[in-house]
Amino acid sequence: MTQEMQFKTIVAQYCKVTPEEMTNSMRFREDLGFSSLDFMSFLGELEDTFDLELEEEDVLKVLTVEEALELLERL
Amino acid sequence: MKEYYPLTAAQKMHHNWIKTYKTQQVSGVSVVASLKSPLDFGLLKKCIQLEFERYGCMRVRFTRPDKDGEVKQYIVEKDTRDIPLKDLSNMSLAEADQLMQQWAYETFDGDDIPMCDVCMVKLPEGFHGFFIHMDHRLIDSCGLVVMINDLMELYTHYRFQSSYPDDLADFETVLAKDLKRASNEKRFAKDKKFWDDQLDALGEPLYSDIQGPSVLDEARKRHGMENLRAADIELENLFVQVKDYYLEPEPTKNLMDFCMNHQLSMTNLLLLGIRTYLSKVNNGQEDITIENFISRRSTHDEWTSGGSRTIMFPCRTVISPDTDFISAAYEIQNVQNRIYMHSNYDPELIEKEMRRRYHTPEHTTYESCYLTYQPMPVKMENPHLVNLQQHSKWFANGAATKKMYLTVSHTEEGGMNFSYHYQTAHLEEHDMELLYYYMMRILFKGIAEPDMSIGEIMRLV
Repeated sequence: MTQEMQFKTIVAQYCKVTPEEMTNSMRFREDLGFSSLDFMSFLGELEDTFDLELEEEDVLKVLTVEEALELLERL
Repeated sequence: MKEYYPLTAAQKMHHNWIKTYKTQQVSGVSVVASLKSPLDFGLLKKCIQLEFERYGCMRVRFTRPDKDGEVKQYIVEKDTRDIPLKDLSNMSLAEADQLMQQWAYETFDGDDIPMCDVCMVKLPEGFHGFFIHMDHRLIDSCGLVVMINDLMELYTHYRFQSSYPDDLADFETVLAKDLKRASNEKRFAKDKKFWDDQLDALGEPLYSDIQGPSVLDEARKRHGMENLRAADIELENLFVQVKDYYLEPEPTKNLMDFCMNHQLSMTNLLLLGIRTYLSKVNNGQEDITIENFISRRSTHDEWTSGGSRTIMFPCRTVISPDTDFISAAYEIQNVQNRIYMHSNYDPELIEKEMRRRYHTPEHTTYESCYLTYQPMPVKMENPHLVNLQQHSKWFANGAATKKMYLTVSHTEEGGMNFSYHYQTAHLEEHDMELLYYYMMRILFKGIAEPDMSIGEIMRLV
């Protein structure tokens, strides 16, 4: 599984959109229905799965799937 | 072979209250769900028994406490109990509610025993349904709503051949995952750093009471510590009263629109309302802490696995009266977002750290107000039942561990219910009237003029 698909599979656990239906332009809150708590819990799951440390300042700027994927790429 | 698990942080929170207040009553949660329609009680009994199979948290038991009062939990494979039917139809609905309120005061005393009671009820005015009384270490209110809906989906499947409900997530699997996550050393260190950094930056918190500074002054005298910043917890008289206020749909919509237009969550707006009131009645105190409950249900599995996932964290903000309303709201939102990111942490450790640093006397606290915002109403959304009149009601366990605990929920008609649970040892209904009145004045002044300073709002309302 590619990192992108692995990422979308995690996102899909938090919403009603399947990884296949998920587009990179989708916004976490407006399109995927994430609450603030969902989003922060999801970031924790990302840290555990990909064994990385996210900076709070960076993650609070993330709005879309694409921006989150770019952040993952950079780390 | 059954496996023994430690309690999660959320479960420990309730367990610690049981230890502190020396009664399981503080951990009771009860609800009645009923429909104005005849029910096939034989079938309902079968569905409740099936629910015991599907919803693993209903089968959780606790071991005998060790020398430190700690327990382990395990899940029994089967619970094939009978489900009694209680006929309350010959009384008024108010009397029936009063009787069920008495049931909600009952305690589960003993080790290795079921911590869940269910009975079917025939209520007055043609309502029929079931009453559930459980230990909060097994379930929270979201978990109960999921259970009620699942149970009624089972009922309508067998009664009306609707589709069989989707499988619920396995409680034990989710529990094991939670415990594994909590024991991740890297995560723990990061979470601890966040909470320690807050204390490093802001120092010891300062108590603020709904009744003003006299409460802290009294605590200072009692302890002979003129610089004490925490006040005493009531340990003896835990009796609680509930006062509900209803906010109509139109003003509710105004609050919700404001939140939507400013990308704010309702929780943060409510926290601002409470903290501004506390500041107003405490001579403009800027450093305010409120305990806010979080329901840690985000993934599908977390939503459907049951269990107790509600946990509280202190929301501490230091806001100058010159700050405008909307900036203050964003400040709270910023703090809350960071708290969410570190909400795996056991809040007991935050308290322990404060006691270690500041030598806070035992049985004192920095908070007088606790908030739960519950966006989910207790409503059976089953299409076969949606047109039937429903009577659902939460019953307080009658023993409050908190001086004032506000639950805000949405009603079916689009309004909001503000339910104030208050310890009668120190508070009266009038205190709740004042709190609600000023909270509303503050919030509606703030959303009407978001650029107005907090100090000005406090002065005008």
